[in-house]
Amino acid sequence: MKMPPTAQLGGIYPRSEQLVELTRSYDRGKTDRASLEERFEQDTRDLVRLQKESGFETFSDGAFEWQDQLRPVVESLEGVATGTRYSRWFDTNTFYKKPAITGKIAVSKFDPKQFLRAELLPKSKPWKVTLVGPYTFSELVENLHYEARSDLLSDIGHAEHLIIQRLKEAGVSHFQISEPCLVYRPHREEALTSKELDSALTALRRAVEGSNASFSVQTYFGDAAAVLPDLLRLPVETVGFDLFETDWSQLKIETEKKLALGIVDARESNVEAPKWIAETATRASKHIVSDSTVLVPNSDLKFVPRRVADAKARSLADATRLVKEEN
Amino acid sequence: MAKLFPTQEIGSIAKPRWRTKGLTQPLTSKDLTEAEQWAERLGIEDYHDRAKELLSTPEGKDRVRELLEFSTIYGLRLFERSGLDNVGVGGEQQRVEMYEHVIRGVEGMRVLGHVQSFDYKYFNKAVAESKIRRKHPIYLEEFLDVKENAKSEIKVPITGPYTLVDWSFGGYYSGLKTGSSLKRQKQEAKREFLLDFVEQVIRPELRDLVDAGASWIQIDEPAITTHPEPADMELFVEAWNETVRGFSCKFSDHTCYPSEIGYKVLAQYAPKLDKCSQLALEFANRDSTSLGVDAEHREGYRDLEYFIQNGYEGEFGVGVVHVHDFSGHVPTGSGKAVDRNIIESPELVRDRLLYATKVVGDPGKIWANPDCGLRTRTWDVTYSKLDSVVKGAELARRTLS
Repeated sequence: MKMPPTAQLGGIYPRSEQLVELTRSYDRGKTDRASLEERFEQDTRDLVRLQKESGFETFSDGAFEWQDQLRPVVESLEGVATGTRYSRWFDTNTFYKKPAITGKIAVSKFDPKQFLRAELLPKSKPWKVTLVGPYTFSELVENLHYEARSDLLSDIGHAEHLIIQRLKEAGVSHFQISEPCLVYRPHREEALTSKELDSALTALRRAVEGSNASFSVQTYFGDAAAVLPDLLRLPVETVGFDLFETDWSQLKIETEKKLALGIVDARESNVEAPKWIAETATRASKHIVSDSTVLVPNSDLKFVPRRVADAKARSLADATRLVKEEN
Repeated sequence: MAKLFPTQEIGSIAKPRWRTKGLTQPLTSKDLTEAEQWAERLGIEDYHDRAKELLSTPEGKDRVRELLEFSTIYGLRLFERSGLDNVGVGGEQQRVEMYEHVIRGVEGMRVLGHVQSFDYKYFNKAVAESKIRRKHPIYLEEFLDVKENAKSEIKVPITGPYTLVDWSFGGYYSGLKTGSSLKRQKQEAKREFLLDFVEQVIRPELRDLVDAGASWIQIDEPAITTHPEPADMELFVEAWNETVRGFSCKFSDHTCYPSEIGYKVLAQYAPKLDKCSQLALEFANRDSTSLGVDAEHREGYRDLEYFIQNGYEGEFGVGVVHVHDFSGHVPTGSGKAVDRNIIESPELVRDRLLYATKVVGDPGKIWANPDCGLRTRTWDVTYSKLDSVVKGAELARRTLS
């Protein structure tokens, strides 16, 4: 029986204009850390309230303090330096500090607060954290240590497994593992080989297996059509892809997995109407058939200003209600 | 024979406090002292006659305009005093920054809010809410000030249409598209938005600049290496060629900080850019700081080979000094680390130029410049770096003479 869709947020949510101003002021030495912390908290509370009011069931904290999608993971690892060089985040106009692998990767002692502001999230609802997957992580770092790429991937997979375990102990039940590099490769000249895909999937399994949590593997920024069948064989509850980049009209797939449809565009400011989202989800579900669907942004919403992101988040939630009503 | 290794500025430099603060607030004695000290260092001859009165008077009908002109003079003199051959427009003192300065002059665009660039740095991103057109000249007033006050050769850096569109939300243009796949809709919307930007904003601006006497226009297109897919690169070439069509001045491209693939894809398309007589590119950021003129020491400059292999025949503006924070090791003879900066030695600049010459094969095609604008550095650091560029170019000339 087909379940009504739900909506979820994930990854880094944009900072409010007030927080933007305060971080700038902090950077110039004109605001103290305590004032900044207070505003980070306020942004988190505002997002939690939005999710509550809109009827979200699984809660994200917005990761407002994450400077980029890799930083908290990097800061939890030994053998990985944060690096000093900024690199472009895929084809966006944002940048991340390129980590350098300088030794064998191991997980250091870390505070789960680096990943999640658990104290600000509702106790009665599931919490979600988004991590960049092992393959994408390995593609975005500068490897100065490992001779064999498979060893690097394997160690990242294991390290993420331990991070997930620790976050699970801290109360996180849902993990989105983002693997854009499986579908976005203009920075690499050669296509993803089947051997490379196998290594990536093995590392993903290493990260998720043995943890009693809900996992979603999400791709974005590229066409997922070629890798979807493989992703759907992973031991994860949900597989997601970017509807704006994937030519899904040519697909014909049936799956028992839950599908996460990246159906609001984090790269465009036009706010998708709930009706459009509902209709597009219905159309897509004729090509990728599943009993259960999650409506999500196609990537982190940090690429749009805060008020646009808020409107997109509300639209997602409204669309789930529309679909329920129509069914 | 033309001078080898001519030197040039490439973009914006920091705005002095008296310039940013002075537009909206009265200045303190500290601000005035700073202005006076730099006036003395730069030999700004009419400081006492004109500037002191302007800076110490909080109001006045033409105060803002005069402040902008005066800060342009400071920028020009900084470049001239450091010895640069081409001083651009004096460090873009009259512009907010490269994106917003243009967007605010375009009808149909609305600034929506801030989006993170990196860490605690952001940019104010705009959306096209209707069909766009230029509201008023964007760079003309600045150019006229520069033309009147510069004592060296000048060029006008402008932000290219591909970058302006890529950094904006399509909004109105995205909403026009229906029917095909979502991906194709986005691509078609981008093309329409971009060609409108060229026709409605950039070409009218170029017409004004050329009519006013501009003979060299540098088109800054940092976004072009962001999307190395053939569809986007073809679109960029189409927009460039349409931009320069019919104008007879010199055109150059400045592109920096490419994505992981480097300049390899740009190199394939550069020969297709009409009238693009120079590519000014960032390399020092990716280079080692050790001295040497072989490939092993000059790893940051290897992408130059791709342009030669692909048959680009124009000049290269070679980035020979880094423009951002630096925290690496500086070997003896390569310069010095000062706070969060590296001040490259003239010898390091020389070696970078000589290696670029080896790759390009013709020293007559090499210009020396910073990787990009030095706007995140203090004026002291900027001056020291430019001094090294000029002295390093001279050392390279002597080596080849």
